[in-house]
Parts: sequence; structure tokens; C-alpha cells
Amino acid sequence: MVALPSLISLVAPISYIAVLLSLLIVFSSLYRKRKAAKAASLEPWFPAHMARDIYLSLLHQEDSTVVPERMLKAALVVRAREDIKRLIKLQQSKNALQVLLQKGCVGDDLWTRFQRAEGELEEELTDVATEADAYQDGWGQVIFKTANEMVNHERIRERAARVATEATAERAWWDQKKSERAAVGLASKYRK
Amino acid sequence: MSKDYNYDDQGQFFPYFILTILGLILVPITYSSFAPSKQLGTSKEPLIKSSEYVPPHHEKVEAARRRQAKKERRLKRFTALVLGWAAFSYMCYLIATTSLVEGKIWDPYDILGISTSATEKQIKSHYKRMSLKFHPDKIRPGPNETMEMLNDRFVEITKAYKALTDEEIRNNYIQYGHPDGKQSFSIGIALPTWIVAEGNTYYVLAVYGLLFGILLPYFVGKWWYGTKKFTKDGVMYESAGRLFKEYDETLDEERLVEALTVGDEIKEITGGVNEKEWVNGEDATVEKKLEQAGFPETEMKALNRHEGWRRRALGLLWAYLYRIDLGSDKLDAAKLDVAAAAIALNRSFNSISLAFGNLQPLISSIRLSQHIIQAVVPGESPLLQVPHFTPSIVSAIEQDGGKNHWSVQRLMSLPETKRKKLCLAAGLSEPEYTTAMTFAQALPALKIEAAFFKVMGEKFITPSSLVQFVMKVRIVPPGSKPPPVHPKDLLDEDPDETDVEALLGRSSRAPKKSHDLPLAHAPFYPRDAHPAWHMFLADVRQGKLVVPPHTITGFEKSPEGFTVVTAKMQFQAPPQAGEYGFTAMLMSDSYIGVDAAQPVTLVVSDPGKVERIEEVDDISDPEEDSLAGQMNAMRGGPVKKRHVEDEDDDEDDDDDEEDSDTDGEADGVSDTDTETEDES
Repeated sequence: MVALPSLISLVAPISYIAVLLSLLIVFSSLYRKRKAAKAASLEPWFPAHMARDIYLSLLHQEDSTVVPERMLKAALVVRAREDIKRLIKLQQSKNALQVLLQKGCVGDDLWTRFQRAEGELEEELTDVATEADAYQDGWGQVIFKTANEMVNHERIRERAARVATEATAERAWWDQKKSERAAVGLASKYRK
Repeated sequence: MSKDYNYDDQGQFFPYFILTILGLILVPITYSSFAPSKQLGTSKEPLIKSSEYVPPHHEKVEAARRRQAKKERRLKRFTALVLGWAAFSYMCYLIATTSLVEGKIWDPYDILGISTSATEKQIKSHYKRMSLKFHPDKIRPGPNETMEMLNDRFVEITKAYKALTDEEIRNNYIQYGHPDGKQSFSIGIALPTWIVAEGNTYYVLAVYGLLFGILLPYFVGKWWYGTKKFTKDGVMYESAGRLFKEYDETLDEERLVEALTVGDEIKEITGGVNEKEWVNGEDATVEKKLEQAGFPETEMKALNRHEGWRRRALGLLWAYLYRIDLGSDKLDAAKLDVAAAAIALNRSFNSISLAFGNLQPLISSIRLSQHIIQAVVPGESPLLQVPHFTPSIVSAIEQDGGKNHWSVQRLMSLPETKRKKLCLAAGLSEPEYTTAMTFAQALPALKIEAAFFKVMGEKFITPSSLVQFVMKVRIVPPGSKPPPVHPKDLLDEDPDETDVEALLGRSSRAPKKSHDLPLAHAPFYPRDAHPAWHMFLADVRQGKLVVPPHTITGFEKSPEGFTVVTAKMQFQAPPQAGEYGFTAMLMSDSYIGVDAAQPVTLVVSDPGKVERIEEVDDISDPEEDSLAGQMNAMRGGPVKKRHVEDEDDDEDDDDDEEDSDTDGEADGVSDTDTETEDES
């Protein structure tokens, strides 16, 4: 009976603390949920990995079609080639992205996306290496070298093709110019 | 409530409180509203003062400029400022008019009515006179006076007199400010009583809670997230992220046009919430007009790859570059807005390409900036920036130029009569020709007169030292015949040895950019274009940027009349000794075809070798009979001056050879072992 007044006097501070704490908890959970939703909605750095999807669907055929091993190996090399392309791209942009982030020229979101892409690629590379090793022991170490060669080769071929098309376009332009001038020259000759 | 404090019943202190708060808020806001902006270039002066050239459909460009000015006016802020200052002055008025009821300072001189400089003798005689005049026995009370008031006055006068003459009372006055000794004092709070009145408690509490619990966090949050939305370059983070993804080290101007339309700024104009406004086949109109203007098929294919707002934006941007009138106010307004947004996005892309350090995208970005500001399709003739020059006139003038277009300089290098004949034959009228020539003769084309490296106060450039790259340039408008450069103008003298600040590069007398470049002549661009020059060093063979651009928006001296002006930038020398061949580039961001480039060689000498050479120098110079070590310590003043004089003597003899003689000058002046290869 004696303790009653002291209990009543405690109601106010306790309810104050309770309200404060519950507000903080609600805020933090809302904030974290929103942040997670935002992070989940971030666009992935690279588009869908077609080569990987093709390889995996070849590997896991639903009906019992037997996919020849040569085809699987080829699909794996193609997958490794795509990985190398992505790796080069990421490596090239990493330094620049860090500099830009420091200067405040790009946002944190981009950096988050980049790191996620980097992590995904790392896992993808180890996965490809283990797959390769499963086909033949030691292939995991050389498959990326092969893929790199393929990328380089492709680049050179592209460049050559571009030069060739440019050359034909230029040739056509100059030929046309030449014929025009010849026509003008002919006309002036006749006028004389 | 303690009785020691009394609240401000009469409202005599409350104005001071409000005044202080208002002042704390108003002064910084006013300053930030009216402070000169720190943006690139501040000059509002046009390049051509009395330009009578009005390009076709100029009223639409003018309307776009007016819209922008309206947006920048910040009406709300200025109304708030005016209201704030009105309240401020009202408070001042209140303070001035309400006389203080209490707390008046007791001043004996004031009571006696004499000046503070009066001597004791004067005070005595004055008091005698006053006591004769005011003694209650001597005078009768006036109409509004009582005997008591007269008594009081006389007592006051006596007190004041005593305070000035009597030793003891004077001490009291000095110590406590009153002849009677210590006075009672009170502490007041500058808040009106009604704030603490019984019935108002809850209202005051509610206002307090609203202010600090809701409004303060709201505004701080709004400010924080507002600043977090934009990058340093003034574009949205979202746009910068997309531009970063679009970056490619082989990007050329045409591809960059396409890349720039990813920005959210552009989406706001041609899509997003406004998407519904664009359903009446506007896209088809734009694309049809583009086709008529000779839009190449490859670009059309690129356009077809996109959909929705992006496609619309790209079409509009190309329409702007082709200077197509789209025939509807809405489309034309959107076209101009897209161009202005593209310039902002291009600035962001410029920063991105700087971070990557590849030359090709950087140059593309600077060139595209020129082309957007002048509304000329990338790859088209620079002559199109001249007033009245249309594509047909340009192709008639260029005749058989092959694929290389004429620059304005090339046109102007023709003799006057021949040039006029050519232009008139191409379809220009006489007054149009005059207008065109006014612009061509005012085009600020920079010519590099000298470019060299130096280390302040050193003879040689040693590895990892802080090198200055100095460029001496002058404005040589096309068609003008500049006088030969005075060799002294090409020197770059070190600041005085005692001026440590200047030597460290953070000079107290920082170069005053008093002469900003005039506004760019850009009749098609819907904003004021502040021209800037980007000066940078590049390794062209590897396609890499060596020293990032230094942006020039003004010079120390007025560059008019062929005055040689200086541009400098600092960077750290490579850590290895050797010769480095770079290309110094000077690119305009607003005019096409005026970029300049010059090969330069940076010679970084081995520090060991440098000491040996300096020793040899000591022996050959008898006046400076000091050891090599001392030489190192005191390098400078007298030694250098002598060198400069020598050079001057040499140069005066062969004035004609100046242009080819830059090597010598560069060496002599900077006292560093650098060479400048002249292109000519």
C-alpha cells in the first residue's frame, strides 16, 4: 500500500521511454526495409548472361536427350569468353569509378551495383573453372587463357572489318566525285 | 516561478530578441542570394557588341532564354527576403521609438547640463548659477509642477554636483555608477509575459514541438536529400550513372550524341510524367523532317534502336543540330530544352572521361560541346557558325574541298576581293556578307606563341618535381595580320624570392582573372554560353591523357590588340629521368575549328647529372664564386637576371627569327632544360 504512490510516479518516465524506444524501433525497421527494397530494385550492371544460360540449359536437359560432350565443352568456352569480356570491362572501369566516387561525380548506387557485379563475376569465374576441371583435370587453369585469346582475336577481326567497310565507302565517295568532275570537264570541253 | 526574473511586460526588450534572430537568418541568406556566382565565367558582355544578325526562328530561342531566366529568378526566396527585411526594419523602428523606462544611466553632466570637458572651476560656477535658479525657496512651481518636483530636481542637481566635486561621492559614482552607492539590479528576460501565462502553456508547447520536432528535421532532411540528388557537375546521380555505363573508349561525337540522351534531365522533357503529351505523332513529324534535312541512314538506324522518350529525345537533339524548324511551338521548345540539357550532361560525361584518361572520348566530349553550342552537326563545316551561312552556301564556297571542310581561318585567309566574290556567288547578299565578316573577324581563335616547362627557381626539371607548364598565347582573329611578338612577352619570370606564398603556388596575389572572355556568339543555343578553353597535355600515340585539363575562362591581361597572355598549369614530373614527348592541346568549348595543338618535350634530368652541370657553371661564372652546395641553397635572383639580359640582347638583333627561335627563349627564361618544337 505504501509503494503505490511511487509506482504511479514511475508511470510517466516509463511510458516516455517506451514511446521513445518504440518510435526508434519503428523508424529503424522502416528505414532498413526501404533501403533493402531500393538495393533490390537496382539495375544489374550487365544484361542477362546468355552464354551461361545456354550452357546450363544444355547441361540440364529435361528429357533424356544426350548432349554430346563436345557441344557442352564449346558452350563452356563461349561462356568463359563472355566472362572475360565482362572482367575486362569491370577492371577498366574500377579505377575511374573510384576516382569519380571520391570527387562526387557519381552516386553511391553505382558503386553498390559495381561491387555486386564484381562479386557475381567472381563466383561465375570459379564456377566455370570447376566445370572445366570436371571435364578434364587442369583445364580450369587454361580455359580463361583460351577465352582471352578468343576475345583478342574477335577484336582484331572487328577492327579489320570496320576498316574494310570504311575503305569501300570512301572509295565509292571519291569515285562519285571523280565522275562528277569528269562530267563537268566534259561539259566545259563541249562548250568550247 | 522565481521572482528574480521579470518578463518583458512593456515589450521594450522583445524587439531586440526578434532583431537578433532575424539578423542571424537574413544576413547569410541575403549574402548567398546576391554574392557573385562562382560558376565558369561571369562576363555578360557579348562577343559582337552591335550584332544585327537575327537567325531564322530566333523568337523561339529568345522565348527559351526568357523561360530559363524566369526559372532562375527564385521569386519565393526574394519575397521571403523582402518580408524578412521589412520585419527587421519594423523592429528597428520599434527600438528607436520606445524609450527605455528604466535602467537609464545616471549621468551628472547631463543633469547639470554641461559638457564632459568642463573644468572644476567651471562646474562650481555653473552649479552656483543653477542653485540660484532652481532652489525651491527661490522659485514658484509652474502650472504642472508641485513643490515636491522642484525639491527632487534640486536634490538631483546637488547630487550631480557632489559627484563631480566631493571625493567620497565621486568614488561611489565611479564604482557603482550612482552617487548613492550600490543600486538594486534586476534580470529581465526578453520574452513577453503572455508566453508564460497560465492559459497559453499548451499552445506554446505545441509551437515549440512543431518547430523542433517536425519542421526542423523536415527542412534539414529536404536540404540533405536535395543536395544528394545532384552530382558535382550539376546532373542527377541517376544520369551520371547511366552516362558512366555508356562510356566507351572509342566513342566518337555521333555516338556521344546518342549516349547523352540517356539522362534523366532529358527524360523529364520528352517523357516521364509528360509522356501523355506526346501521342499525336510528333515523333513521326520530327523523323520526317530529319530525313528531309539529309539525316544519314546509319544515324536513322541508330535512332530506330530506341523507343519512347529516348527516341524522341534523340530525334529532337539531332533536329537541333540540323537547325530544323519543327513548325510547332511545343516541339521547338522541347528541342531547345533538350539541347541545353545535353550540354549539362556532356559536362558530366567530360568528368567521366577525365577519370578514365582516354583521349578519344574526352576530345569527342569537348568537340560535341562546340557543336551543340553552335548548333552544327558533328563532322560538318566550321563555316556554319558564321552568320547567314547555310549548308548550301557552305558547300558552294568550299567547292572541291574533298572531305576536309574549310575552317573560318581558311576562308579569311583568301584575299578580300576573292573572298567577297566567292561568298556573293554562293548566294549571300551584300549586307549579309558584311555581318558574316564582322563575326569572322571577331572569332577569338587562340594562337600558341610559346609553350614550355619550368620548375620555379630551378635550372633543370628533376624527377617528381612540381613542374609548371606555361603557355603564351594570343588571340589572332581569322584574317588579321598580327604584329610580330615582342620576345620579352614570351618570358615567364619567377616571382620574387621573398614572396614565399607565390613560390608555393598559393600566392596572396592570386592571378586576378579580371578579363573574362566575352559571352560566346551562339545565336541558336538557348542559354548564355560562357566560353572556356581547356588546356591539357596528351600522349597522342597512346591515346592517353597525361595532365588533366586546366580550364581557362579569363586572363590576367586583356587579350585584345594581340596582347600575349599567359596560361599555366602545374603537375608533378614523372619519377624517371628521360625525354617525354607530349602534345599540348588548347581546345575551345564553344567555337568550332579554333583548337590548337603543339608538340612539346619534357626533359626530366637525372639529379646527379644536374649537380655536375651546375658545378661546371660555377667555374665559368666568376661573379658567383660559391660552392655547388651553396649554389643549390641560394639559387635565383642575380644569376637569372643576368641570363635574361643576355637573351634579350641576342633577340633584339634577330627580331625576324622570333618564331623559329622559341627554343632559345624557353631555355633562357625558364632556366630549365626544355625544348619547344615549333610547328611552323
